[in-house]
Amino acid sequence: MNRSFYIDLANRGLKMPMGTDIVLNEHPDPEAIRVDGRRLGDVMIEAARRYRTPLALPQMNLTLEKDALLVLMGLDGGAGEFHFTAPPSPELLARFEAGLKGPLTPECEANIEAIAHVARSSDLVPLGMCIGPFSLMTKLLADPIMPVTLAGMGNSAADNAEVALMEAALDLSTRLVLEIVDRQIKAGARMIVVAEPASNKVFFSPKLIRRGSDIFERFAMAPNRKIAALLKENGVELFFHCCGELIDEMVEAFASLDPAVLSLGSSRVLWQDAALVPKTTILYGNLPSKKFYSPTLFTRSQVSDSSRELIARMREIGHPFILGTECDVLHVPGCECTIRDKLDAIMEAVAV
Amino acid sequence: MQDWSKLYDAIVDGDDKTSARLTREAIEAGEDPSALISDTMVPAMAEVGRLFEIEEYFVPELLLAGRAMKAGLELLRPILAASGVEPTGRIVIGTVKGDLHDIGKNLVVSMMEGAGFEVIDLGIDVPPETFIEAIRDKKPQIVGMSALLTVTMPAIKTTIDAMVAAGVRDGIKIMVGGAPVTEEYAREVGADAYGENASVAATIAKRLCAEAKAA
Repeated sequence: MNRSFYIDLANRGLKMPMGTDIVLNEHPDPEAIRVDGRRLGDVMIEAARRYRTPLALPQMNLTLEKDALLVLMGLDGGAGEFHFTAPPSPELLARFEAGLKGPLTPECEANIEAIAHVARSSDLVPLGMCIGPFSLMTKLLADPIMPVTLAGMGNSAADNAEVALMEAALDLSTRLVLEIVDRQIKAGARMIVVAEPASNKVFFSPKLIRRGSDIFERFAMAPNRKIAALLKENGVELFFHCCGELIDEMVEAFASLDPAVLSLGSSRVLWQDAALVPKTTILYGNLPSKKFYSPTLFTRSQVSDSSRELIARMREIGHPFILGTECDVLHVPGCECTIRDKLDAIMEAVAV
Repeated sequence: MQDWSKLYDAIVDGDDKTSARLTREAIEAGEDPSALISDTMVPAMAEVGRLFEIEEYFVPELLLAGRAMKAGLELLRPILAASGVEPTGRIVIGTVKGDLHDIGKNLVVSMMEGAGFEVIDLGIDVPPETFIEAIRDKKPQIVGMSALLTVTMPAIKTTIDAMVAAGVRDGIKIMVGGAPVTEEYAREVGADAYGENASVAATIAKRLCAEAKAA
């Protein structure tokens, strides 16, 4: 399946909210499904059918990889709150490397099996999904911004313990994500969503970048270039996602990964970003789905109006585009109808 | 009072080592700690806030400046405590139950400390009962709550409702913030104020404290 398949889908006006989590949570036992690859695959298929797309998107659960990393190291107590305070010892690293050869957590294994299930039992294009290495690293440290900034001010791992810790955590993250991506490729993924929401201007000072610091390239991009190379070797496409607040230089850097799809947050103006991205990369998004839970913050008619405007503007500039959401549309208890109604509005949208 | 503009610059530039060194020098020179804070350090953080507002500074610079401020404050606090000087106010803050994000909350902590507040940081994933316990124990003027996700935002309301039920709501001002939180939401759930960002939050906190003291 080559790039032109996806560009053709875009040019034919594909609309595709990231709605798998919504569909998953309509089931009475979502937690059980999360660890059951076949059922999770069926949810991917169900979501793709509902939103009339040939692309079967997995759920975007960006907690899976941290859990897996800690379990592999035998540090599985309260993954959410765990942070490294020193670079992992040689023993922990050895345990991590050994663990990478075996099964990961049940949730990670289910995600991989779900891809295989979609590939086996449907005519849909199975997509993989993982967190980006930089974003994973930010979850491993209590304060990930400071070491990045200190590195940007000229401190190296050799002379600054915080920078050393951050680089060690980033190495671990990259190693794990590459392994997961490899397994998803082997399971049959034809395109992989790399969700890298932390590669943004909260973590990387635009002031430092514009003064010539290479921190964005070193810490956000270099690990993702390894993923892009792995995908390319295997003929698998990259769907790169970052819904954080960005500066133009960051968008250009993402585009340099040559993703088939670049998904950006609602803070970006896609028809302006098109000038930063080659026409071989489809722009995806970027309706403010984080507000969809509220009946008043972004109404159904605003969804319709923005959808129409996006379609029309992107058509006008002639850049391949898929109308969608700025992020995975999360299930919010009590707001299900409001959210579904807005996803329906996206599907009904036609250009003015 | 001597000219401590280099301390001011060190904080604005986010240079924690220089900030600590100059604060030490100021202490040794017999400088009044309260004056040093109010005339040099707080204005420095106010300038940092201004630079953030006009997008000359970003979150990393804000954190660096906060760290530089803290490096100086930590040296002054024992002296202030020994001489019975009260902080601008006391704030209990935390990310609500179910939410593990703390960057926004940490920024607010940094700016509040920079504004002269004593901050009791309860951390992340804080259940309502921990907030209530902290209100009873620490007697803050302000309680700050943060949520990053739409799915965890309802915990703000749950926490405020629990404070009302526990009878601790009346004596405090509640401030809320976080990516999905809005002014409208803050009103709906019964908060007293909404801080759009860390810099604004510190300004609002000062106003709320002044109002509380005047009442």
